[in-house]
Amino acid sequence: MPEQSLIQDFLKNLSKYLSRLDKPDAAEVIREIESHILDAIELQEQTGGTPDAKSILDGFGEPRELANQYVEHLLKGTPPPKGFKAIQRVKRGATKTIYYSMGFLGFGISICLIFLGLGKLFMPDNVGIWSAAQGNSVIITFSEHKYLDSNELFGYWLSPLAIAIAAGIAYLTKNVLRVLKESIQ
Amino acid sequence: MTKNENSNDKWDVQLRKGSLELVILSALKERTLYGLELLKLLHSFETMKITEGTLYPLLERLKREELISAFWRQEGETRPRKYYQLTQQGEEKFTSLTRRWRQSVDDIEYLLQHPGPQPINPKGE
Repeated sequence: MPEQSLIQDFLKNLSKYLSRLDKPDAAEVIREIESHILDAIELQEQTGGTPDAKSILDGFGEPRELANQYVEHLLKGTPPPKGFKAIQRVKRGATKTIYYSMGFLGFGISICLIFLGLGKLFMPDNVGIWSAAQGNSVIITFSEHKYLDSNELFGYWLSPLAIAIAAGIAYLTKNVLRVLKESIQ
Repeated sequence: MTKNENSNDKWDVQLRKGSLELVILSALKERTLYGLELLKLLHSFETMKITEGTLYPLLERLKREELISAFWRQEGETRPRKYYQLTQQGEEKFTSLTRRWRQSVDDIEYLLQHPGPQPINPKGE
């Protein structure tokens, strides 16, 4: 029955986003909302309409948004008791450090790869990735001297490849930073 | 929807934001209601058509602030429902908010009744 699965999906999602609450509190919220939905569907049937779970669920909005309203007091509500503030500050400091190091590392690697890609384009003979003859090391180089005993990897494909990987890493970094930013605000 | 209706809706939303707490407290004054009942009651008024997504988190907040209390009750064959009622603290809050509400309405009404250009003298001094 599609109505049933719509409701179950909604409650499952809601339950996931309510995980910051204590388990019994989250279970109580789910129980009440489930009871409301089932009552509202019964009411639709009694008044001669067809059961329409979607219209009822729409009234609750997105599970994530709904859950946020239940947990927001935990995030910014009651101020911590005296003495706890220092701990909070340390915690926030740590998250900020992670935020900036992550940005530095992620975007730093991206910039290096873009340099490598562009370098290969403009100085094809001096820039490249080389595999040592013995096969147990890989050398990335900006050099006038070729590694005679080594084989070059990727050739001209290095340019697009390095730039594509740089774009991928920058994209991932941006997304991770977005999530981290939420937790330092 | 005409532009005018649209701005009426916005006005309703703004007004509700500030007054919703009083609306819920007065709906529960001398009444014990469960969520759906309360929602239906509010929907019977033109300017109080709030959504489920607004009502339930608000009830939860009022409960946390100990202005209302909740309990589960099963009547006959129906499924159990969570009922809400005012606490003593809720009654007091209701009384003080009602006083402020009436004062605001009187003040606005006074302004409406006394357009310019005559000088205004709300305290009758």
